[in-house]
Amino acid sequence: MQLLDIRNLTLELETPDGIVRAVDRVNLTLREGEIRGLVGESGSGKSLIAKAIMGVLHQRWRISADRFSWCGEDLLRLPYQRQREIISRDIAMIYQEPSRSMDPTAPIGEQLAESIPDHRLEGVSWWQKGFFRRKRAINLLHKVGIRDHQAVLHSYPYQLSEGVCQKISIAMAIAKDPKLLIADEPTTALESTTQAQLFRLLASFNQLKGTSILLISHELETVAKNTDTVSVLYCGQLVEAGETAELLKNPRHPYTDALIRSVPEFQPDLGFKQQLYALHGSIPTLQHLPIGCRLGPRCPNARRECVKTPQLERQQNHFYSCHFPIHRGGTNE
Amino acid sequence: MILSYLARRLFLLGFVFVALTVFVFSLNYLFPGDLVSNLTGLRDISPQTQQQLQQLLALDQSLWQQYIAYNRRLLAGDWGLSFASQQPVLSEIMQVLPATLELAAYALCLSLFAGIPLGLLAAVKKDSLLERCISGIALIGYSMPVFWLALICIMLFSLQLGWLPTSGRLGVLFEVPTQTGFIFVDILLADHISRSAAAYSALLHLAMPTVILAAYPTNVMIRFVRTSMLEVLEQNYIKTARAKGLSRSQVLYRHGLRNALLPVTRQVGLQFSTLITLAMLTEVIFSWPGIGQWLINSIYQRNYPAIQAGLLVVSSLVICVNMLTEILHTLFNPLARKH
Repeated sequence: MQLLDIRNLTLELETPDGIVRAVDRVNLTLREGEIRGLVGESGSGKSLIAKAIMGVLHQRWRISADRFSWCGEDLLRLPYQRQREIISRDIAMIYQEPSRSMDPTAPIGEQLAESIPDHRLEGVSWWQKGFFRRKRAINLLHKVGIRDHQAVLHSYPYQLSEGVCQKISIAMAIAKDPKLLIADEPTTALESTTQAQLFRLLASFNQLKGTSILLISHELETVAKNTDTVSVLYCGQLVEAGETAELLKNPRHPYTDALIRSVPEFQPDLGFKQQLYALHGSIPTLQHLPIGCRLGPRCPNARRECVKTPQLERQQNHFYSCHFPIHRGGTNE
Repeated sequence: MILSYLARRLFLLGFVFVALTVFVFSLNYLFPGDLVSNLTGLRDISPQTQQQLQQLLALDQSLWQQYIAYNRRLLAGDWGLSFASQQPVLSEIMQVLPATLELAAYALCLSLFAGIPLGLLAAVKKDSLLERCISGIALIGYSMPVFWLALICIMLFSLQLGWLPTSGRLGVLFEVPTQTGFIFVDILLADHISRSAAAYSALLHLAMPTVILAAYPTNVMIRFVRTSMLEVLEQNYIKTARAKGLSRSQVLYRHGLRNALLPVTRQVGLQFSTLITLAMLTEVIFSWPGIGQWLINSIYQRNYPAIQAGLLVVSSLVICVNMLTEILHTLFNPLARKH
């Protein structure tokens, strides 16, 4: 079943220099139980999309979409109150900087307890609610692999390491058994061993509870290892989407191709001290976005037609938006 | 950890007091006139007494010894005599200080009780008409000089409308002996008077000076709380709390309020010195028998022992309140205990 179905999501910001379109007609779908990766460089609008889904985007942003449906209900057309209700019931998010997403002046136990929704405590008499909340909070900590719950519950965020904080924020996120868990670069602040633990944790929730996960990252390797499907963003445009294995094997968009070729692990026949492939130039600032396909000026295959934004083309489950897609090995067409 | 922090603070407090007493002690030399009379407040000293006093004040010894002797006299409560009245300065201060404390405390309370809610309201209802009204009034109040405001208010409420008395602490009809110096306590302790009528009169006398003195700190508080709350509302943890499914009021109450109000404790300490300065002005305008008026009169009369003592008391008060709010801030704020 289609959990999340977003068509042509556009996020715009009014600035003194005119309207900046940070996210340009992006499509995103998520099935139940799916782990989807969202890959792109910083500034490509990944986090903005996540915040738009969570409904915590700053008021200055203008959100528009042809379809923004969650379990068949179009969120953008619902009244604000109802929208919040659905989002807070079904969707949870883990942030890049876990320690900054926690109240610095409240002990962990309190913050964890308040993230347990009231309907989980139904049938519990009010004088026992505190006790049950606490019990459940301890339970959650155990689930994310924190054994020393006594010390952690009474700590303040600044007293804990980023890794532990990230685990706690996962515990807060799973407290309400969400249908979708958005992980916004969950491992940037962590050491590599903790990173591995974290991905194992996410995978286990996906398998045990059927939680869908939207994994946002700028590292193609982590996304390749941990996801079923992937969407690639460049400067707020969706360039390619599809099943991870297929997409890595057969990229159709020059940007995806460049992205894959820039990762040494995907290049087994890379020579010693050989230069890695990279596109020319750097990503444009939001004020100076090129028209049409935003990769245009950097694209090795760009031609005159690229000043028009390409339509999203579909080949089975593989989507790409390019006028001149790459054909490798001539398997297709 | 808290204990070591307290010890550090008290150590610092000790240093500040040493610096303060050194300064006040040096004033004896810096003020014009005779050193012995500056130190004791005695006038027309005969040569014999001069001899004795020099012994007593350790003037024949080194400066260091003199300073120690000075401190010893301070601690013993021997603060010299006032030039004007030839009464002990300390007992005079004890008579006028409660009036100032009373005025300043009420004004501070008023500024907290009015300023914090208004500031929070302005932050929560951002970009609304209400916020603009509050900010506008705060800006006007902030930029209005207190003496001008006081005179306008006296003109309007006392002279035109006749609602409030112009000066003093209590109507002349009431004979209330000074016992503690705090007017309401004195009224409660006094015999043979109608207590409720006296308290009402005291309240009327208190109303205008308190409100006028509170005007400036209230507006500072409104602006401070508003900025602080707006800053907190931008933070990531507020977004997280929203995403957790807490309602807007829950987010504000559980996460917004505490984080926004913690810096306010420190702000109270910082505002206190301004408050005391403004209290002096207010006291002069309303003939309020407090330490401010007393100190200003002493300055006019070149009453050096009184100036010294007033300086010492007012500075100590400000320093102590500052230190107290600092310590409270640390106790309440887990982030301040970080190091």
